[in-house]
Amino acid sequence: MNQKKANKSVSDIVYYVIRIAILISVIFLFIPNLNPARISGLINRNMSLFTSGLSYSSLTDGFGRAIKKEWVYPSTLQILYVSALATCLGLIATAASACMSVGNVKFKKLGNLIAVIGSAVEIGGMVGIYIAYNQISQTTKANKVEPMFSKGYWLIIAVAVLVLVLSIVQILLLAKTKAEEKFEMQTKFRLFLMYMPFLCLVAVFSYLPLLGWRYAFFDYKVGDTLSFEKFVGFKWFAELVKNPATVRDIVKVLKNTLGMSMIGIATSWLPMAFAIFLSEVKSVRFKRFVQTFTTIPNFISWVLVYAIAFCIFSTEGFLSSLLVNMGVWSEGQNLLMSGSHTWIKMWAWGTWKGVGWSAIIYIAAISGIDQQLYEAATVDGAGRFQRMWNITVPSLVPTFCVLLLMSIANILSNGMDQYLVFKNATNADVIRVLDLYVYELGIGQGSIPLTTVVSMLKSIISVTLLFAANGVSKAIRGESIV
Amino acid sequence: MAKTAQEKADLKAEKQYEKTHKKRFKATPGDIIFNILNYSIFTLFTLACVFPFYYLFINTISDNELVAKGMINFVPRGLHIGNYTALLNVGDLSSAFLVSISRTVLGTALMVMASGLVGYLVTKQEMWGRKFFYRFLIITMYFNAGLIPWFLNMQMLGLTNTFWAYIIPGIVAPYNIILVKTYIESIPAELEESASMDGATHMTVFRKIIWPLSKPILATIAIFGAVGNWNSFTDSLMLMSSAPKLYTLQHRLYIYLNQASNLSALMESGGQVSEAVLKSALSGKVIKYTISMVTVIPILLVYPFMQRYFEKGIMLGAVKG
Repeated sequence: MNQKKANKSVSDIVYYVIRIAILISVIFLFIPNLNPARISGLINRNMSLFTSGLSYSSLTDGFGRAIKKEWVYPSTLQILYVSALATCLGLIATAASACMSVGNVKFKKLGNLIAVIGSAVEIGGMVGIYIAYNQISQTTKANKVEPMFSKGYWLIIAVAVLVLVLSIVQILLLAKTKAEEKFEMQTKFRLFLMYMPFLCLVAVFSYLPLLGWRYAFFDYKVGDTLSFEKFVGFKWFAELVKNPATVRDIVKVLKNTLGMSMIGIATSWLPMAFAIFLSEVKSVRFKRFVQTFTTIPNFISWVLVYAIAFCIFSTEGFLSSLLVNMGVWSEGQNLLMSGSHTWIKMWAWGTWKGVGWSAIIYIAAISGIDQQLYEAATVDGAGRFQRMWNITVPSLVPTFCVLLLMSIANILSNGMDQYLVFKNATNADVIRVLDLYVYELGIGQGSIPLTTVVSMLKSIISVTLLFAANGVSKAIRGESIV
Repeated sequence: MAKTAQEKADLKAEKQYEKTHKKRFKATPGDIIFNILNYSIFTLFTLACVFPFYYLFINTISDNELVAKGMINFVPRGLHIGNYTALLNVGDLSSAFLVSISRTVLGTALMVMASGLVGYLVTKQEMWGRKFFYRFLIITMYFNAGLIPWFLNMQMLGLTNTFWAYIIPGIVAPYNIILVKTYIESIPAELEESASMDGATHMTVFRKIIWPLSKPILATIAIFGAVGNWNSFTDSLMLMSSAPKLYTLQHRLYIYLNQASNLSALMESGGQVSEAVLKSALSGKVIKYTISMVTVIPILLVYPFMQRYFEKGIMLGAVKG
């Protein structure tokens, strides 16, 4: 009996080791630097083991010429692909076994079996990769094919062997089950396992990008690999404040960003005014009509807003053709092609698109105000404006404050869609906001490290601002906004 | 018939009351001016919101020559649907339309199912590490690594230039999960308890009870999700750089809008413009209008259905946690 108990506690500890080992190897699956399947310089640097095992075409993308000239045989690549695929499948099997290990003994047994098979397949795949490497290193054109051996190879194989050995130990440790026992798992773990795939998605798409912040500390060009020789510390941060050209750009961009955000913040009372004045309209039908049609623009994309702008204000658009036909203008003008008053124009488009929508929250708040307040005020002789100012406005102020704080927290993020579509040669200088600048410089011109620095700083500043806004809200209203 | 004195007095009082109140509510000149101003400003703004769509529409169905001369401003003339049928021949448009439709349908369906399930799971107190993992999810709403790291990540995952780049990252939408969670919490717990007493598993409870009961909120997020998917344009722009077949309709529209107008190019070169050339060259403008119309029509079609979910969505959004 005691022996059994001791076995159980040892087994529990070993399970923790196995789970952590499997978690680590799953993470390895996604890190391109550790991709053991990258046995040749012709394979894309940004390819992870997962992608290598997933798609044969992207794995062998760079080999077209090498195969044609017979530097590399297709069979080698096929071995490589099958091995990568086997490694991936083996890893997935061990991940499944780790999930099963939180169940009852029967679940655990099955899990152990799967883990043994999975890690064996994984090791087999790794051996296959080694064979492919051996074949490829015997190529006649070593300088073209660049055979290489990934540093991740031994790491992954070590983890796989660890999992294999420990799983075998577990099989020996586990008590025998009775034949009639069923697969069972505690509710808390069952629920967690249902939740886990979604957690993985969040981790991959929201947390994994944080790994990209490392590019800020390297001299990186598109297509390069990251190596420690290229580590430059805070060089790019310094560049941001020292390089005169960059500084000029950044100052200009920040001016545009803050300027347009400020205009937005200064007029953020507009939706509230919209709602208040709309609530003064007596006819329910008219109200409904206005609300219905002023909300439409919110649901179209910025590209479509630009299409609208185009059909109204371009050379052949509504305004030009109307004025030309009336003889006011001698020929059509393209009002979109002008660099003057760009901030105000952008604000106007934003307002056209958003004001009806933003007003909804205030309209809902107004309908929640006690009507007796208005009646009492009327009896006391308050006029229309007095009622609006002293009853409606104060009851909307809390909502307004929350939205205002949020827009202050978002002062650096005005998005890029709007400015991208409205940008042209004449207004480029005054329309380029931070998001657009990062897009143009990073994705357009491939200046990855510098834009990563900017992205990083922007994220940090935004979060700080958000927490500050939250703190202010807590201090003033005793309520948090996030 | 003679009325009693009491009734007469009542009637009189009533009349008096009405009179005084009418007086109180009688519109003063100021009120009238206010109302006129108020109504006219709202009418003007509403027109400004509607007219562009109308203008776009009448220009796509009117006689192309009149459109070219800028004669179609308020009333459509020479109706035809030739422009729309002509679009069918533009190859890259139909594929873009297909991409947009499929990403909207698939992306929205997966997002709604995931939001429903996750929204349900995170209401379960007994889940292992519920609090931590819920926050792990929600915090991503307020914090992201930034555009370039996001792009590099998509590249690293091998999602660039694949259709899945439109779908997979959108499956888990924290904001929608909050909405669903808040809604599910308002469903009486007794319903679920009685079901689990009868031996239903969590999955069964979710399928048979929670899912049907949360349909209103699921419809809300479905509509917002569909509109977002249909409208999204930057992901196509950034991620599909070498897969033009996977451009979305919005992206195609953007490309078309940015093509220099054929006519103005001809005019500037100073060449004599024949009638036939004029006609074909001008179709550039009409094509732009027609594509815009095709892109906006799905939104306008679902709009009436969306409307009833507006307030629910925006008001629920105010309650977080």
